[in-house]
Amino acid sequence: MSRFDLREVSVRRDGHLIIDRVSATIAPGRCTALVGPSGAGKSTLLRLFNRLDDPTSGTLLLDGAELDTLDVLELRRRVGLVGQRPVMVAATVIEELRTGAPELERGRAVELLARVGIAQALVDRPSAGLSGGEAQRVCLARALAVEPEVLLLDEPTSALDPEAAKAVEETLCGLLGDGLTAILVSHSAEQVRRMADDALVLQGGRLVESGPVREIAYVNGVGGV
Amino acid sequence: MNPAVPEWTGVALSVSLVAVAVVIAWRQQLGLAKEIVIAAVRAGVQLFAVGAVLLFLFQHAGLPGGFAWLAVMVVIAGQVAGRRGAGLHRSRYVATAAVAVAAAVTLGVLILFGVVQSAPRVVVPVGGMVVSGAMQATGVTLARLVAEARGQRAVIEARLALGLSAPAAFAPHRRELLRTALIPTLDSTKVVGLISLPGAMTGLILAGVSPEVAIRYQIVVMYMLVAAAVMAALAAAELGRRMLFTGAQQLR
Repeated sequence: MSRFDLREVSVRRDGHLIIDRVSATIAPGRCTALVGPSGAGKSTLLRLFNRLDDPTSGTLLLDGAELDTLDVLELRRRVGLVGQRPVMVAATVIEELRTGAPELERGRAVELLARVGIAQALVDRPSAGLSGGEAQRVCLARALAVEPEVLLLDEPTSALDPEAAKAVEETLCGLLGDGLTAILVSHSAEQVRRMADDALVLQGGRLVESGPVREIAYVNGVGGV
Repeated sequence: MNPAVPEWTGVALSVSLVAVAVVIAWRQQLGLAKEIVIAAVRAGVQLFAVGAVLLFLFQHAGLPGGFAWLAVMVVIAGQVAGRRGAGLHRSRYVATAAVAVAAAVTLGVLILFGVVQSAPRVVVPVGGMVVSGAMQATGVTLARLVAEARGQRAVIEARLALGLSAPAAFAPHRRELLRTALIPTLDSTKVVGLISLPGAMTGLILAGVSPEVAIRYQIVVMYMLVAAAVMAALAAAELGRRMLFTGAQQLR
Protein backbone atom coordinates (compact mmCIF):
# COMPACT_ATOMS: atom_id res chain seq x y z
CA MET A 1 0.00 0.00 0.00
CA SER A 2 2.02 2.97 1.35
CA ARG A 3 -0.42 5.80 1.10
CA PHE A 4 0.37 9.01 2.92
CA ASP A 5 -2.24 11.37 4.29
CA LEU A 6 -1.37 14.84 5.52
CA ARG A 7 -3.83 16.57 7.85
CA GLU A 8 -3.40 20.27 8.55
CA VAL A 9 0.38 19.88 8.67
CA SER A 10 2.30 22.98 9.76
CA VAL A 11 6.00 23.56 10.41
CA ARG A 12 7.22 26.62 12.29
CA ARG A 13 10.93 27.41 12.57
CA ASP A 14 12.29 30.36 14.53
CA GLY A 15 8.90 32.03 14.48
CA HIS A 16 8.44 31.61 10.71
CA LEU A 17 5.69 29.46 9.30
CA ILE A 18 7.46 27.28 6.68
CA ILE A 19 4.58 24.90 6.06
CA ASP A 20 1.08 26.29 6.56
CA ARG A 21 -1.75 23.82 7.23
CA VAL A 22 -1.14 21.47 4.31
CA SER A 23 -3.68 18.66 3.83
CA ALA A 24 -3.14 16.21 0.99
CA THR A 25 -2.99 12.58 -0.03
CA ILE A 26 -0.03 10.82 -1.64
CA ALA A 27 -1.35 7.89 -3.67
CA PRO A 28 0.48 4.55 -3.49
CA GLY A 29 2.29 3.22 -6.54
CA ARG A 30 2.55 6.67 -8.11
CA CYS A 31 5.13 9.41 -8.27
CA THR A 32 3.95 12.62 -6.63
CA ALA A 33 5.95 15.78 -7.23
CA LEU A 34 6.27 18.60 -4.71
CA VAL A 35 6.77 21.73 -6.78
CA GLY A 36 6.87 25.46 -6.24
CA PRO A 37 9.30 28.37 -6.11
CA SER A 38 12.43 28.06 -3.96
CA GLY A 39 11.67 28.71 -0.31
CA ALA A 40 8.13 27.35 -0.74
CA GLY A 41 8.81 24.61 1.83
CA LYS A 42 9.17 21.60 -0.49
CA SER A 43 12.28 20.10 1.11
CA THR A 44 11.00 20.90 4.60
CA LEU A 45 7.81 19.00 3.83
CA LEU A 46 9.76 16.06 2.37
CA ARG A 47 11.72 15.60 5.62
CA LEU A 48 8.48 14.94 7.49
CA PHE A 49 7.70 11.75 5.55
CA ASN A 50 10.57 9.77 7.12
CA ARG A 51 10.56 11.83 10.33
CA LEU A 52 13.93 13.48 9.92
CA ASP A 53 11.77 16.31 11.29
CA ASP A 54 8.36 16.44 12.89
CA PRO A 55 5.61 18.93 12.10
CA THR A 56 4.88 21.64 14.66
CA SER A 57 1.20 20.78 14.37
CA GLY A 58 -0.99 18.48 12.32
CA THR A 59 -0.45 14.81 11.54
CA LEU A 60 0.95 12.60 8.80
CA LEU A 61 -0.44 9.11 8.34
CA LEU A 62 1.08 6.15 6.56
CA ASP A 63 -1.62 3.65 5.59
CA GLY A 64 -3.87 5.18 8.23
CA ALA A 65 -1.35 5.03 11.09
CA GLU A 66 0.00 8.25 12.55
CA LEU A 67 3.74 8.42 11.87
CA ASP A 68 4.69 9.08 15.48
CA THR A 69 2.97 5.85 16.57
CA LEU A 70 5.24 3.81 14.28
CA ASP A 71 8.74 2.69 15.22
CA VAL A 72 10.83 5.44 13.66
CA LEU A 73 13.70 3.18 12.54
CA GLU A 74 11.21 0.79 10.92
CA LEU A 75 9.49 3.76 9.26
CA ARG A 76 12.79 4.94 7.79
CA ARG A 77 13.40 1.48 6.36
CA ARG A 78 9.99 1.62 4.71
CA VAL A 79 10.52 5.18 3.45
CA GLY A 80 13.92 5.68 1.81
CA LEU A 81 15.54 9.00 0.91
CA VAL A 82 17.82 10.18 -1.86
CA GLY A 83 19.11 13.68 -1.18
CA GLN A 84 20.04 16.56 -3.40
CA ARG A 85 23.78 15.98 -3.19
CA PRO A 86 25.27 12.52 -2.99
CA VAL A 87 26.54 12.02 0.55
CA MET A 88 28.92 9.12 1.07
CA VAL A 89 28.86 7.53 4.50
CA ALA A 90 31.24 4.56 4.13
CA ALA A 91 34.64 3.71 2.67
CA THR A 92 33.72 1.63 -0.37
CA VAL A 93 30.76 1.24 -2.69
CA ILE A 94 29.69 -2.11 -1.24
CA GLU A 95 29.98 -0.77 2.30
CA GLU A 96 27.72 2.09 1.26
CA LEU A 97 25.09 -0.44 0.26
CA ARG A 98 25.57 -2.40 3.46
CA THR A 99 25.12 0.68 5.70
CA GLY A 100 21.38 0.21 5.89
CA ALA A 101 21.40 -3.49 4.98
CA PRO A 102 24.32 -5.13 6.84
CA GLU A 103 23.37 -8.63 5.63
CA LEU A 104 23.37 -7.66 1.96
CA GLU A 105 25.07 -10.33 -0.10
CA ARG A 106 27.61 -9.42 -2.73
CA GLY A 107 25.53 -10.84 -5.56
CA ARG A 108 22.51 -8.81 -4.50
CA ALA A 109 24.71 -5.69 -4.26
CA VAL A 110 25.91 -6.22 -7.81
CA GLU A 111 22.30 -6.61 -8.95
CA LEU A 112 21.24 -3.38 -7.24
CA LEU A 113 24.17 -1.51 -8.73
CA ALA A 114 23.32 -2.86 -12.18
CA ARG A 115 19.77 -1.63 -11.66
CA VAL A 116 21.04 1.93 -11.18
CA GLY A 117 23.60 1.65 -13.97
CA ILE A 118 26.79 1.07 -11.97
CA ALA A 119 29.24 -1.48 -13.37
CA GLN A 120 30.28 -4.47 -11.28
CA ALA A 121 33.89 -3.27 -11.44
CA LEU A 122 33.04 -0.40 -9.10
CA VAL A 123 31.78 -2.59 -6.24
CA ASP A 124 34.99 -2.39 -4.22
CA ARG A 125 35.97 1.12 -5.27
CA PRO A 126 36.52 3.74 -2.58
CA SER A 127 33.32 5.78 -2.49
CA ALA A 128 35.32 9.00 -2.26
CA GLY A 129 36.63 8.53 -5.81
CA LEU A 130 33.27 8.39 -7.59
CA SER A 131 32.04 11.08 -9.95
CA GLY A 132 28.96 13.05 -8.94
CA GLY A 133 26.67 11.01 -11.15
CA GLU A 134 28.12 7.70 -10.00
CA ALA A 135 27.89 8.74 -6.36
CA GLN A 136 24.25 9.72 -6.76
CA ARG A 137 23.50 6.33 -8.32
CA VAL A 138 25.24 4.62 -5.42
CA CYS A 139 23.04 6.67 -3.05
CA LEU A 140 20.01 5.42 -4.95
CA ALA A 141 21.21 1.80 -4.79
CA ARG A 142 21.98 2.28 -1.09
CA ALA A 143 18.40 3.41 -0.48
CA LEU A 144 17.04 0.51 -2.55
CA ALA A 145 19.16 -2.02 -0.62
CA VAL A 146 16.91 -1.45 2.39
CA GLU A 147 13.94 -2.40 0.17
CA PRO A 148 11.75 0.62 0.89
CA GLU A 149 8.10 0.89 -0.11
CA VAL A 150 8.41 4.61 -0.70
CA LEU A 151 11.29 6.64 -2.09
CA LEU A 152 11.71 10.31 -1.18
CA LEU A 153 13.66 12.13 -3.89
CA ASP A 154 14.93 15.60 -2.93
CA GLU A 155 15.97 17.23 -6.22
CA PRO A 156 17.92 14.08 -7.05
CA THR A 157 19.52 15.43 -10.22
CA SER A 158 19.97 19.13 -9.46
CA ALA A 159 23.59 18.85 -8.32
CA LEU A 160 24.67 16.82 -11.36
CA ASP A 161 25.95 17.94 -14.73
CA PRO A 162 23.30 17.76 -17.50
CA GLU A 163 24.50 14.44 -18.89
CA ALA A 164 24.65 12.69 -15.50
CA ALA A 165 21.32 14.28 -14.55
CA LYS A 166 19.66 12.86 -17.65
CA ALA A 167 21.07 9.40 -17.02
CA VAL A 168 20.07 9.35 -13.34
CA GLU A 169 16.60 10.57 -14.27
CA GLU A 170 16.24 7.74 -16.76
CA THR A 171 17.26 5.26 -14.08
CA LEU A 172 14.68 6.76 -11.71
CA CYS A 173 11.96 6.60 -14.36
CA GLY A 174 12.75 2.91 -14.81
CA LEU A 175 12.35 2.30 -11.08
CA LEU A 176 9.11 4.27 -10.93
CA GLY A 177 7.77 2.17 -13.77
CA ASP A 178 8.11 -0.84 -11.44
CA GLY A 179 5.38 0.59 -9.20
CA LEU A 180 7.48 2.09 -6.41
CA THR A 181 5.73 4.93 -4.57
CA ALA A 182 7.80 8.11 -4.86
CA ILE A 183 7.67 11.67 -3.65
CA LEU A 184 9.80 13.93 -5.79
CA VAL A 185 10.93 17.45 -5.00
CA SER A 186 11.92 19.21 -8.20
CA HIS A 187 12.26 22.73 -9.45
CA SER A 188 12.16 21.67 -13.08
CA ALA A 189 8.73 21.61 -14.71
CA GLU A 190 10.07 19.41 -17.53
CA GLN A 191 11.40 16.88 -15.06
CA VAL A 192 8.07 16.82 -13.22
CA ARG A 193 6.20 16.26 -16.49
CA ARG A 194 8.57 13.43 -17.41
CA MET A 195 8.66 11.71 -14.02
CA ALA A 196 5.62 12.46 -11.92
CA ASP A 197 1.99 11.31 -12.07
CA ASP A 198 0.62 13.79 -9.54
CA ALA A 199 1.79 17.13 -8.23
CA LEU A 200 1.32 19.27 -5.14
CA VAL A 201 2.13 22.93 -5.69
CA LEU A 202 3.42 24.82 -2.66
CA GLN A 203 3.70 28.57 -2.41
CA GLY A 204 4.86 30.30 0.77
CA GLY A 205 4.26 27.07 2.65
CA ARG A 206 0.65 26.70 1.50
CA LEU A 207 -0.76 24.09 -0.83
CA VAL A 208 -2.17 26.06 -3.77
CA GLU A 209 -2.79 23.37 -6.38
CA SER A 210 -2.93 19.58 -6.49
CA GLY A 211 -3.92 16.84 -8.88
CA PRO A 212 -2.62 14.86 -11.87
CA VAL A 213 0.42 16.55 -13.42
CA ARG A 214 -1.26 17.25 -16.76
CA GLU A 215 -3.95 19.30 -14.98
CA ILE A 216 -1.52 21.39 -12.93
CA ALA A 217 -1.11 24.88 -14.37
CA TYR A 218 2.16 25.47 -12.49
CA VAL A 219 4.04 22.72 -14.33
CA ASN A 220 2.39 23.34 -17.70
CA GLY A 221 3.71 26.81 -18.29
CA VAL A 222 0.85 28.78 -16.76
CA GLY A 223 2.52 29.40 -13.41
CA GLY A 224 5.83 30.25 -15.10
CA VAL A 225 8.53 27.82 -13.89
CA MET B 1 61.23 24.34 59.32
CA ASN B 2 62.41 22.98 56.01
CA PRO B 3 64.87 25.49 54.50
CA ALA B 4 63.50 24.77 51.00
CA VAL B 5 60.12 26.36 51.79
CA PRO B 6 60.09 30.16 51.43
CA GLU B 7 59.40 32.37 54.46
CA TRP B 8 56.93 35.27 54.15
CA THR B 9 59.89 37.61 53.63
CA GLY B 10 60.82 35.46 50.64
CA VAL B 11 57.32 35.80 49.26
CA ALA B 12 57.56 39.56 49.65
CA LEU B 13 60.89 39.58 47.83
CA SER B 14 59.43 37.57 44.94
CA VAL B 15 57.12 40.53 44.34
CA SER B 16 60.23 42.37 43.11
CA LEU B 17 60.30 40.00 40.12
CA VAL B 18 56.84 41.17 39.13
CA ALA B 19 57.93 44.77 39.72
CA VAL B 20 60.80 44.32 37.26
CA ALA B 21 58.38 42.95 34.67
CA VAL B 22 55.99 45.87 35.22
CA VAL B 23 58.77 48.46 34.89
CA ILE B 24 60.00 46.91 31.65
CA ALA B 25 56.48 46.68 30.25
CA TRP B 26 55.80 50.29 31.21
CA ARG B 27 59.07 51.72 29.81
CA GLN B 28 58.63 49.89 26.53
CA GLN B 29 55.00 50.97 26.35
CA LEU B 30 53.77 47.45 25.75
CA GLY B 31 50.38 48.28 27.21
CA LEU B 32 50.80 45.27 29.50
CA ALA B 33 51.87 46.88 32.77
CA LYS B 34 48.34 47.21 34.09
CA GLU B 35 47.50 43.65 33.01
CA ILE B 36 50.53 42.25 34.77
CA VAL B 37 49.68 44.10 38.00
CA ILE B 38 46.08 42.91 37.86
CA ALA B 39 47.10 39.31 37.14
CA ALA B 40 49.68 39.31 39.94
CA VAL B 41 47.28 40.83 42.46
CA ARG B 42 44.46 38.49 41.45
CA ALA B 43 46.67 35.44 41.74
CA GLY B 44 47.91 36.56 45.15
CA VAL B 45 44.44 37.31 46.47
CA GLN B 46 42.98 34.07 45.10
CA LEU B 47 45.76 31.98 46.61
CA PHE B 48 45.42 33.75 49.98
CA ALA B 49 41.69 33.06 49.90
CA VAL B 50 42.16 29.42 48.91
CA GLY B 51 44.83 29.03 51.59
CA ALA B 52 42.44 30.38 54.19
CA VAL B 53 39.63 28.11 53.01
CA LEU B 54 41.91 25.07 53.00
CA LEU B 55 43.22 25.91 56.46
CA PHE B 56 39.66 26.13 57.71
CA LEU B 57 38.69 22.88 55.92
CA PHE B 58 41.65 20.94 57.24
CA GLN B 59 41.23 22.13 60.81
CA HIS B 60 37.46 22.35 61.25
CA ALA B 61 35.30 21.00 58.43
CA GLY B 62 36.69 17.48 58.21
CA LEU B 63 36.04 15.07 55.40
CA PRO B 64 32.43 16.20 54.65
CA GLY B 65 33.74 19.73 54.25
CA GLY B 66 36.44 18.45 51.90
CA PHE B 67 33.89 16.70 49.72
CA ALA B 68 31.61 19.75 49.77
CA TRP B 69 34.52 21.82 48.48
CA LEU B 70 35.12 19.20 45.81
CA ALA B 71 31.47 19.39 44.77
CA VAL B 72 31.81 23.16 44.35
CA MET B 73 34.84 22.58 42.10
CA VAL B 74 32.86 20.08 40.01
CA VAL B 75 30.05 22.60 39.50
CA ILE B 76 32.47 25.36 38.48
CA ALA B 77 34.33 22.98 36.13
CA GLY B 78 30.98 21.94 34.61
CA GLN B 79 30.13 25.56 33.85
CA VAL B 80 33.51 26.20 32.25
CA ALA B 81 33.59 23.00 30.17
CA GLY B 82 29.91 23.40 29.28
CA ARG B 83 30.69 26.66 27.54
CA ARG B 84 32.91 24.75 25.11
CA GLY B 85 29.82 22.86 24.00
CA ALA B 86 27.79 26.01 23.28
CA GLY B 87 24.98 25.10 20.91
CA LEU B 88 24.56 21.64 22.40
CA HIS B 89 21.24 21.05 24.14
CA ARG B 90 21.85 21.27 27.94
CA SER B 91 25.62 21.39 27.48
CA ARG B 92 26.36 22.56 31.06
CA TYR B 93 24.40 19.71 32.53
CA VAL B 94 26.30 17.27 30.30
CA ALA B 95 29.65 18.80 31.25
CA THR B 96 28.92 18.83 34.97
CA ALA B 97 27.75 15.22 34.89
CA ALA B 98 30.84 14.12 32.91
CA VAL B 99 33.25 15.83 35.31
CA ALA B 100 31.35 14.45 38.31
CA VAL B 101 31.42 10.89 36.98
CA ALA B 102 35.15 11.06 36.21
CA ALA B 103 35.99 12.59 39.59
CA ALA B 104 33.79 10.20 41.56
CA VAL B 105 35.11 7.05 39.87
CA THR B 106 38.77 8.05 39.89
CA LEU B 107 38.88 9.38 43.45
CA GLY B 108 36.56 6.64 44.64
CA VAL B 109 38.90 3.91 43.42
CA LEU B 110 41.98 5.59 44.89
CA ILE B 111 40.33 6.08 48.28
CA LEU B 112 38.71 2.65 48.28
CA PHE B 113 42.04 0.92 47.72
CA GLY B 114 43.71 3.21 50.23
CA VAL B 115 46.11 4.59 47.61
CA VAL B 116 45.39 8.08 48.87
CA GLN B 117 44.23 8.96 52.35
CA SER B 118 40.61 9.93 52.89
CA ALA B 119 41.58 13.10 54.73
CA PRO B 120 40.59 16.57 53.57
CA ARG B 121 44.24 17.62 53.18
CA VAL B 122 44.58 14.88 50.54
CA VAL B 123 41.10 14.75 49.03
CA VAL B 124 40.94 18.47 48.23
CA PRO B 125 44.21 18.94 46.28
CA VAL B 126 44.12 15.51 44.63
CA GLY B 127 40.44 16.02 43.79
CA GLY B 128 41.34 19.42 42.37
CA MET B 129 43.80 17.82 39.96
CA VAL B 130 41.26 15.21 38.91
CA VAL B 131 38.51 17.79 38.38
CA SER B 132 40.81 20.04 36.40
CA GLY B 133 41.95 17.18 34.13
CA ALA B 134 38.38 16.00 33.67
CA MET B 135 37.28 19.55 32.88
CA GLN B 136 39.81 19.91 30.07
CA ALA B 137 38.91 16.57 28.50
CA THR B 138 35.20 17.34 28.79
CA GLY B 139 35.61 20.77 27.23
CA VAL B 140 37.53 19.47 24.22
CA THR B 141 35.13 16.54 23.78
CA LEU B 142 32.05 18.77 23.77
CA ALA B 143 33.64 21.29 21.43
CA ARG B 144 34.49 18.49 18.98
CA LEU B 145 31.06 16.93 19.40
CA VAL B 146 29.30 20.15 18.43
CA ALA B 147 31.69 20.80 15.54
CA GLU B 148 31.24 17.26 14.24
CA ALA B 149 27.46 17.36 14.46
CA ARG B 150 27.42 20.68 12.56
CA GLY B 151 30.02 19.80 9.94
CA GLN B 152 28.83 16.24 9.30
CA ARG B 153 25.10 16.88 9.52
CA ALA B 154 24.43 15.58 6.00
CA VAL B 155 26.36 12.36 6.62
CA ILE B 156 24.68 11.68 9.96
CA GLU B 157 21.23 12.31 8.50
CA ALA B 158 22.01 10.09 5.50
CA ARG B 159 22.67 7.25 7.96
CA LEU B 160 19.52 8.02 9.94
CA ALA B 161 17.53 8.00 6.71
CA LEU B 162 18.80 4.46 6.06
CA GLY B 163 17.18 3.34 9.31
CA LEU B 164 20.27 3.46 11.53
CA SER B 165 19.73 4.34 15.17
CA ALA B 166 21.19 7.58 16.49
CA PRO B 167 24.08 5.82 18.29
CA ALA B 168 24.93 3.83 15.15
CA ALA B 169 24.66 6.89 12.91
CA PHE B 170 27.02 8.80 15.17
CA ALA B 171 29.47 5.98 16.00
CA PRO B 172 32.20 6.82 13.45
CA HIS B 173 32.18 10.47 14.57
CA ARG B 174 32.31 9.46 18.22
CA ARG B 175 35.47 7.46 17.57
CA GLU B 176 37.13 10.40 15.82
CA LEU B 177 36.19 13.00 18.38
CA LEU B 178 37.31 10.87 21.33
CA ARG B 179 40.67 10.36 19.67
CA THR B 180 41.04 14.10 19.11
CA ALA B 181 39.93 14.92 22.63
CA LEU B 182 42.34 12.52 24.31
CA ILE B 183 45.46 13.03 22.20
CA PRO B 184 46.73 16.04 24.24
CA THR B 185 46.43 14.10 27.51
CA LEU B 186 48.06 11.00 26.06
CA ASP B 187 50.87 12.99 24.46
CA SER B 188 51.73 14.83 27.65
CA THR B 189 51.62 11.52 29.52
CA LYS B 190 54.11 10.04 27.06
CA VAL B 191 56.71 12.75 27.58
CA VAL B 192 56.22 13.20 31.31
CA GLY B 193 59.57 13.63 33.05
CA LEU B 194 61.35 14.11 29.72
CA ILE B 195 60.02 17.54 28.84
CA SER B 196 58.36 18.72 32.00
CA LEU B 197 58.57 17.79 35.63
CA PRO B 198 54.96 17.67 36.62
CA GLY B 199 53.49 19.85 39.35
CA ALA B 200 52.98 17.32 42.09
CA MET B 201 56.52 15.98 41.75
CA THR B 202 58.03 19.45 41.55
CA GLY B 203 56.12 20.43 44.66
CA LEU B 204 57.25 17.41 46.62
CA ILE B 205 60.88 17.79 45.61
CA LEU B 206 60.82 21.49 46.49
CA ALA B 207 59.34 20.60 49.86
CA GLY B 208 62.34 18.34 50.52
CA VAL B 209 60.84 14.93 49.79
CA SER B 210 63.20 12.44 48.16
CA PRO B 211 62.74 11.98 44.39
CA GLU B 212 62.03 8.28 44.93
CA VAL B 213 58.94 9.16 46.99
CA ALA B 214 58.08 12.03 44.66
CA ILE B 215 57.93 9.81 41.58
CA ARG B 216 55.74 7.30 43.36
CA TYR B 217 53.28 10.04 44.07
CA GLN B 218 53.62 11.39 40.54
CA ILE B 219 52.94 8.02 38.95
CA VAL B 220 49.72 7.69 40.91
CA VAL B 221 48.74 11.24 39.95
CA MET B 222 49.52 10.63 36.29
CA TYR B 223 47.55 7.40 36.02
CA MET B 224 44.75 9.07 37.89
CA LEU B 225 44.74 11.98 35.44
CA VAL B 226 44.74 9.67 32.42
CA ALA B 227 41.83 7.72 33.88
CA ALA B 228 39.95 10.91 34.75
CA ALA B 229 40.44 12.34 31.26
CA VAL B 230 39.37 9.14 29.51
CA MET B 231 36.32 8.72 31.71
CA ALA B 232 35.31 12.36 31.41
CA ALA B 233 35.67 12.23 27.62
CA LEU B 234 33.66 8.99 27.39
CA ALA B 235 30.92 10.33 29.65
CA ALA B 236 30.79 13.66 27.82
CA ALA B 237 30.65 11.93 24.43
CA GLU B 238 27.90 9.58 25.58
CA LEU B 239 25.71 12.16 27.32
CA GLY B 240 26.45 14.76 24.65
CA ARG B 241 25.47 12.35 21.89
CA ARG B 242 22.13 11.79 23.61
CA MET B 243 21.57 15.54 23.61
CA LEU B 244 22.38 15.80 19.89
CA PHE B 245 19.38 13.66 18.99
CA THR B 246 15.71 13.75 19.91
CA GLY B 247 13.83 10.75 21.24
CA ALA B 248 12.65 10.13 17.67
CA GLN B 249 16.27 9.72 16.49
CA GLN B 250 16.34 13.12 14.83
CA LEU B 251 19.46 15.26 14.76
CA ARG B 252 18.60 18.47 16.66
